[in-house]
Amino acid sequence: MKNRPILEVKNLDVVYKTLTDEIVALKDINLQVGERESLGIIGESGCGKSTLFYAIMGYLPSNGNSTGEIFFKGENLLEKGQKEMMEYRGNRIAMVYQNPYSSLNPSLTIGYQLDEVTMFHRRFSRKEARKVSIQSLTDLHLGDAAGIVHRYPHQISGGMQQRICIAMALLCRPDLLILDEPTTALDVTTEAVILDIIGELKEKYDMSLIYISHDIGVVNKVSDRIAVMYRGEIVEKGSQNTIYQHPDHPYTRALINCMPRSGIVKEEVRLNTIQGYVTRRSAAETGCPYIARCEKKAHDCEKGYGLKENSPHHFSACTRAYAVDVPDRERTALKKVEENYDEEKNILKIENLYKYYGRQGKKIRALDGVTVSLDRNNVLGVVGESGCGKSTMGLTVSGLLKPTKGKLFFDGMDISVSWEKRTPDTLRGIQLIFQNPGRSLNPSFTIETIIGRPMKKLLGIKSKVERRKRIIAILKKVDIGEEYLNRKATHLSGGEMQRVALARAFSISPDLLICDEPTSALDVSVQASVLNLLGDLQQESGAAYIFISHDLNIINYFSDYIMVMYLGRVCEYGRKDEVVGPPYHPYTEALLSAVPDVDPSLKKRTIRLEGSPPNPTKKIGGCPFAGRCHRQIGEICINVPPPRVEFSDTHFVYCHLSKEEMQGISS
Amino acid sequence: MKTMFLLLKRNPLAVLGIVILFIWIFAAFFGPSFLSYTYTEMDMDHQMSLPGEYNHLLGTDALGRDVFARIIYGSRSILTVALMTSLFSSIAGILIGFTSGYFGGLIDMIFLRIMDIVMAIPPLVLAMVVLGILGDSTIFSLTLIVSIAYTPATARVARGALLSCKGNEYVDAARIRNESHFFIMFVEILPNTIGPVIVEITARFAYSIMMIASLGFLGVGLQPPTPDWGMMVIENKSIIKTASWTVLYPSLAIASLVIAVSLFSDFVSKVMIHEK
Repeated sequence: MKNRPILEVKNLDVVYKTLTDEIVALKDINLQVGERESLGIIGESGCGKSTLFYAIMGYLPSNGNSTGEIFFKGENLLEKGQKEMMEYRGNRIAMVYQNPYSSLNPSLTIGYQLDEVTMFHRRFSRKEARKVSIQSLTDLHLGDAAGIVHRYPHQISGGMQQRICIAMALLCRPDLLILDEPTTALDVTTEAVILDIIGELKEKYDMSLIYISHDIGVVNKVSDRIAVMYRGEIVEKGSQNTIYQHPDHPYTRALINCMPRSGIVKEEVRLNTIQGYVTRRSAAETGCPYIARCEKKAHDCEKGYGLKENSPHHFSACTRAYAVDVPDRERTALKKVEENYDEEKNILKIENLYKYYGRQGKKIRALDGVTVSLDRNNVLGVVGESGCGKSTMGLTVSGLLKPTKGKLFFDGMDISVSWEKRTPDTLRGIQLIFQNPGRSLNPSFTIETIIGRPMKKLLGIKSKVERRKRIIAILKKVDIGEEYLNRKATHLSGGEMQRVALARAFSISPDLLICDEPTSALDVSVQASVLNLLGDLQQESGAAYIFISHDLNIINYFSDYIMVMYLGRVCEYGRKDEVVGPPYHPYTEALLSAVPDVDPSLKKRTIRLEGSPPNPTKKIGGCPFAGRCHRQIGEICINVPPPRVEFSDTHFVYCHLSKEEMQGISS
Repeated sequence: MKTMFLLLKRNPLAVLGIVILFIWIFAAFFGPSFLSYTYTEMDMDHQMSLPGEYNHLLGTDALGRDVFARIIYGSRSILTVALMTSLFSSIAGILIGFTSGYFGGLIDMIFLRIMDIVMAIPPLVLAMVVLGILGDSTIFSLTLIVSIAYTPATARVARGALLSCKGNEYVDAARIRNESHFFIMFVEILPNTIGPVIVEITARFAYSIMMIASLGFLGVGLQPPTPDWGMMVIENKSIIKTASWTVLYPSLAIASLVIAVSLFSDFVSKVMIHEK
């Protein structure tokens, strides 16, 4: 530790009492944050990351009981009463939450909410407070700070709201800023801007930082040291580079390896997975918390290793990450490349598709002339920020939405209508996987009913025995045992639910599967196994996929073709190697630069995209991206629709830049 | 089951409510066979006798009828009508509320406005007017009118519960496999809305008891000689100073049943929250 510690947590345990039993949320947490230091905490959901932060702030619910010591500048916070804690909260320790929209009061102006902080803690007058508030907003690079204070939270974008939350947290110049997944709800380009600002302000204000996230890439961008949490324990902590390059704990290593990093593609690598999922911890449990999921466990693991300093400043609760007696899993390709070009048959053709929401006059142009086609056994990755129309496209193809204009052809058949007018065979042929499996499976049905119903309805299998036989077969393929048949969906973990959703889709052998962010509600370890499964199922069935995601790493890993969308229009389309390498559309360039990388040694130049996409109710004459484009070349971008620039048969870009200019952009 | 027991342990009031409710149900089923009087029998020698005197547990009224017997018999009619009312109004409420919320648009608008009109009339006034026109109340007409009065409230709850489920993707998934509207509403959605609907039914049960008793008090409830708690209160109002027990015990009966059902209903809603 180079600096004096500002926060010291010693032997912290947190136990929640529920009606039926006691759940251990944190166990024996020891950590320190030095002055001007930033600590990143990573772990999957349910690992106690947020509980730790609630315990520090004294925000635990009434059934949560914490024991141990939390020293903030030498004073034990756990001994303070609620009234004394007021002195710390928001004043000396400030926090920023995940969802800015629910942290801001929708009925008060932003200025009012900001002023309150200094008026309360510093006893400022309204006038002084306002001056400080505006200064703070300017620090966050919010242009027109004097105007923003008069607006209400719903009048500004999510990214700006989060910047206002950060400005609010910094008003009293706290010594410690805790950020709990502050960018998880935001788009990747906005996230990049916010991470940049956080790094900058940390230097400027000399404060310490705790950054909580599930994403190693994000944590790498802002932290000096990283602590990895698993089931309420810190299993490893050390400097950012050590954790990435020499993880000692098998969990850390598995977590790093199961993320699709940039440059990894399914033709070469099958993602590592971690079996099982995070379970609750009972008070009686002893030993290594990771034992149930560990591939490298040895006979003495039940005793538990305890957090030890294995090398200077690098603590770990295990050293078996590279254990040789248990070999690493073979790294094989998820998809065999040569089989790729058998039976190239067109399955879906979208021609000039338009979808408008709302009434005349105030139409939202969700899709503004999209043309694309997709062959059997291929994956079309659709990527873009929220509101770019990627989900609308999926829903229109699936039939849940009726296209406003344009044509859709499925296997040569015109299907430009909504679901009521489609034939049962088309309905069978196009299946949809939703983002949130908890909402896409009916919680009151058993797994058997969930999977069996489409078989009965769309394949016409009347016999219950026959259905059950097929259900068991398909469940086996998605790695779910027969004993689940009579369970309800609510008793399954997120990953299991998504597997059941996949089983439901594949039980009726679809030709086209639309996956709308199928892994973004899942933890990274589970995400890997779902992606592998999706790949295997495709290999076997030869179905085509439309894979919609906001995450370029996943899109690059999983797709064959990529379509980049912005405000309902296509910016760039091509084979994946053509899209992720130059020449690019400037928007693709910005998206790629914004993706946080797992490897901290890869320092990329980030392109700061300011502002948010333009109002989708207005008709745009020129390029929709012109307003935010860092390579804008003048009036032509705003007034003239960009031409289609073709680089190859499969790769084209809609941009006013010349071919040569775009080829000049280096990666 | 275990959580249910633990929740009961934490809520002694709920236990009290359930015990009282069971006593009344037991009384309605088996009570009359233990009685030494029927509800019409007049003990001409002992009119307005004190509770406990002459083998009359709760005394007699001005006509010498046994108050205890009349209360026990009265529990039959009030429980029957209240139970049927909450059943009918919830079935009708679910049907209307679901249709309205599921289809939305114009259908929703029309249904909602009709509900508004029914709700705008105070239920007691509505019942009094209709029952007054129909003449002598029977169990059937009483059930019908109380059900109608309470359907809009149930329909609104059902509609709200449906709307909160309708946005779930399992509904979309059902649509694109061409399920019928009926299937989606009653097989996919209904089981997931059962929590708030059951809470509403139990709460409605308590309201129904109050309303039936009130109607009896106002003289438009079940007609004599059928014993009715509300009616017993009003019949004996004139002798309240000399024979207070004739008014007190029927009133206590009404109060205890309403409170018991309310406590039970609170407990049901706690269980439902916990189930989630």
